[in-house]
Amino acid sequence: MTAGFISFIATVAIYYLSKKIYQKKTWVILSPLLIAPVILVALLSITHTTYKSYSSGGQWLTEILQPATVAFAVPLYKYRHILKKQMAVIALSMTAGVTIAFISSDFIARLTHVSPNVILSMLPRSVTTPIAMAVSINIGGIPAMTAAFVIMTGITGIIIGPLLIKWLPINDKLSKGLLLGMGAHGAGTSKALEIGKEEGAAASLAMVIAAVFTLALAPVLMTFLT
Amino acid sequence: MKKVLLIVVQVILLSLFSLAGNFISKVFYLPISGSIIGLFLLFICLHFKIIKLSWVEIGAGFLLAELLLFFIPSAVGVIQYKSDMIHNGLKFIIIIVLSTLIVMLVTGFSAEFLLRRKERSKQ
Repeated sequence: MTAGFISFIATVAIYYLSKKIYQKKTWVILSPLLIAPVILVALLSITHTTYKSYSSGGQWLTEILQPATVAFAVPLYKYRHILKKQMAVIALSMTAGVTIAFISSDFIARLTHVSPNVILSMLPRSVTTPIAMAVSINIGGIPAMTAAFVIMTGITGIIIGPLLIKWLPINDKLSKGLLLGMGAHGAGTSKALEIGKEEGAAASLAMVIAAVFTLALAPVLMTFLT
Repeated sequence: MKKVLLIVVQVILLSLFSLAGNFISKVFYLPISGSIIGLFLLFICLHFKIIKLSWVEIGAGFLLAELLLFFIPSAVGVIQYKSDMIHNGLKFIIIIVLSTLIVMLVTGFSAEFLLRRKERSKQ
């Protein structure tokens, strides 16, 4: 209980500290999702704390992901006119995104010779953790491993997403938001909210649609991949 | 202080939606997680004005602004796969970086292409 409480407080404190630093410097390498876990892992190993006793407190924060997912209804509702107006564009580009997420992970993973159940754990990594884990179970992956890949995808996405937007001719706010929300789920969406309100709304849409489409398309896609 | 109280109450309201979603998911053996069902429930309630936007707006804004905080414990959890990460970490990074890059390019460019085509056809 005490270890849990200390872990909780330490996580929140380190998060706010890294957020403050990030606001001053805004180097992607200093993103709270990258730097805070590194500091925490270092602290755990210095203090010889097991992950289990850390997570007894850490899971309180993970639990909040549930109402946080519900909270995405608010930007969706506020910007429902975009959803209505651009329904076809959104549906088509998201179907492409979900399909390519499975195919590209599978193809590249096969090239690098990782074991089959690791490949399966990797396929749903573009969507938000609870959905990714559920899909992972359905297709025969290791759900906890999937959770790790989801996080790695989030970190990757918030680093390369803004660079792609900057360097490539992707100018529409809708495209920028869909790119971030499809590529890097909630992490990408928080980055999109940082860029602007409409980008954030598009990314929220993308995150939710990616989750639903992945659930729906995973069984179909698996018949092609195996 | 009043704002903190408002956030707490609104986050509790949002949690009720995810609990309701979990319940529905369990009862009907749905493959969709409770929080996504909760999201749709809240959207429907907002749409039919059963719930006013102002009842959840501040709480939702807070949760979305601090979203990364709730991912941090899971990110720390990667250490459970320390040996996998040491042996295959580089491969995992290569796969994830390349695939995320492809996913982002395909999604971003198809949206951009479709939007431009739509604009052109209007003119």
